[in-house]
Amino acid sequence: MNRRQFLKASAATSLVPWLSGCERTSHWEREAYIRPKRSRVAILSAESYRKPLSNIIQRGVELFQLEVRGKRVLLKPNLVEFDPNGVINTHAALIEAAVDAFKVLGAREVIVAEGPGHRRDNEYLLSASGLYDVVKEHRIRYVDLNTDDVRLTRLKSSFTSLRQLYFPETLYNADLLVSMPKLKTHHWAGVTLSLKNMFGVIPGSVYGWPKNSLHWAGINGSIVDINSSLPLPRFAIVDGIVGMEGNGPLQGQAKKSGVILFGSDLVAVDATAARLMKIEPRKVKYLEQAGEFLGNLGYEQIEQVGETIDRFQQDFRVIDNFADLKKLVG
Amino acid sequence: MLAQLVSSLLSEQNGDGGWGAVPGKQSNTEATAFAVLALESAAADASRIAKAKSWLINRQNGDGSWSLSDSTNGPSWVTALAIIALSGSAEESARVIKAGNWVLEQEGGKPGLLAQLILFVTRQKRAVRLNQDLTGWPWTTGNFSWVEPTSYFMIALKRLKPQLPTNAVQERLAQAELMIYDRMCDGGGWNYGNAEVYDEKLWPYPDTTALALIATQDRRERNENRLSLRVLNQLATEADSGLALSWAAICLALYGQDVAALKSLIVQRFAKTKFLGETKTLALAVLALGEGARYFRV
Repeated sequence: MNRRQFLKASAATSLVPWLSGCERTSHWEREAYIRPKRSRVAILSAESYRKPLSNIIQRGVELFQLEVRGKRVLLKPNLVEFDPNGVINTHAALIEAAVDAFKVLGAREVIVAEGPGHRRDNEYLLSASGLYDVVKEHRIRYVDLNTDDVRLTRLKSSFTSLRQLYFPETLYNADLLVSMPKLKTHHWAGVTLSLKNMFGVIPGSVYGWPKNSLHWAGINGSIVDINSSLPLPRFAIVDGIVGMEGNGPLQGQAKKSGVILFGSDLVAVDATAARLMKIEPRKVKYLEQAGEFLGNLGYEQIEQVGETIDRFQQDFRVIDNFADLKKLVG
Repeated sequence: MLAQLVSSLLSEQNGDGGWGAVPGKQSNTEATAFAVLALESAAADASRIAKAKSWLINRQNGDGSWSLSDSTNGPSWVTALAIIALSGSAEESARVIKAGNWVLEQEGGKPGLLAQLILFVTRQKRAVRLNQDLTGWPWTTGNFSWVEPTSYFMIALKRLKPQLPTNAVQERLAQAELMIYDRMCDGGGWNYGNAEVYDEKLWPYPDTTALALIATQDRRERNENRLSLRVLNQLATEADSGLALSWAAICLALYGQDVAALKSLIVQRFAKTKFLGETKTLALAVLALGEGARYFRV
């Protein structure tokens, strides 16, 4: 998507309620969502990608009443692209640690699944990122969500005019979807975290690369509409050991942060991750929209456990167009 | 090895005659079209090929297009692949001409006046470096043009050229070629469709570079093709996937190069990864290891 399309989509999205006179609540099915009064988010320290990361993952998951025994757990990392000189992807060591941890916690099956947004070449992405060896060694399934069988799904919110999307069948056959994004800034959306990571579940075989239909419909609205309509419970594990600042999600610079974030409320997790980057979550358009009904955005509504934000907060650079995100409200 | 790959491909054919993206998945047009080409190139069991072609033929939409699978509605970019797969069959001539006419009506979208006005007023830094007025073909109807679908549609139209309205075909192909060259990365080769984002150069991919070169193989004297051919040769030596190696081998064979070394690498990759079970890659490997490049000659 280029600047013009982005502006067009943004302008169109912002004009919709003005022209129609609709209230914001008309954008989602009110009876389908009960926002918790408070949401727990854990920040755990992780100095590097060296082992034993699985202990940290297990400890993070155990901070939540997450019942995974006997369940099929689907790990969704960010493999959008690979750059040998960059830090685009969720690190393979973290994915491996999550595989280990969920197995120890009693998961019936752990699957790794992704629909890379730029590259079609899974064999390349898996080999280059180190994930191929993880999948092979642990004898787990990797599912290419870009070419999976699909099911047409009615969207439960309407921040775009999409109304329905094809979702991969694999989502319907899993019990828990674990979004495992990288802690990154993003040149179209401001930040890319556990909610934006769900672009990767949309099948490229139907919608193309780089998931172009979503860009045309409006990136912010698409993120919200996808996340409002996914057919299974979610959990987030954010790879903030080394993040990316600047012209993310592909061409930014590495930023060592030394943390992993956990949470069942993906909005709260992303809001906390944004604050770690000294980015105001209320100014990230899709977070502000998601915060209206999908989860908690406000600092006061988030129960912080583990490390404090202050200890690990760093100033992540953003591109000029998102300079306003750096004005923290609180 | 070729016989082993053909055998694998045959063993993965679904009961309905088509192939899924990987074994056990629902048949889809992309996998089935590549499998048809692969099996034809290897002169495999004629009855199995006929069954596969029937799967394709029975799924053409009324407007001439194809959908991705029985689970999806509406026309899809895979129409180009169905055309390529069926264009060698004289008895399917009317069918592919109908599809070709549908292709001529499809065009990548352009940004609207409102977006252009906002950009002009705000004078924001240009995010991407490309000419948005040049259109090829999108993945989905009405969306922006990208390198891979445009390349497939160009190959399909070039193969059908004598059977379609001359002026319309020439006009679309001329613009699509301009679009393809406009999107080329600095120094040659192609990313998925952008060459630059916020002044940062994007890097070429072997598979899209091969596809764009195949689509413009009748322009091989152009500097862009020569540059990109050099890039592809370099990328191919470093490629570690069956998809990249197979497309590179098919492309370089069409440009008259010796691809024996690439064929060896394809065999090695299959031994190591089995191409993750991907039908399309398996079919492309069969095409690359045999004489399959001819199906992409225009």
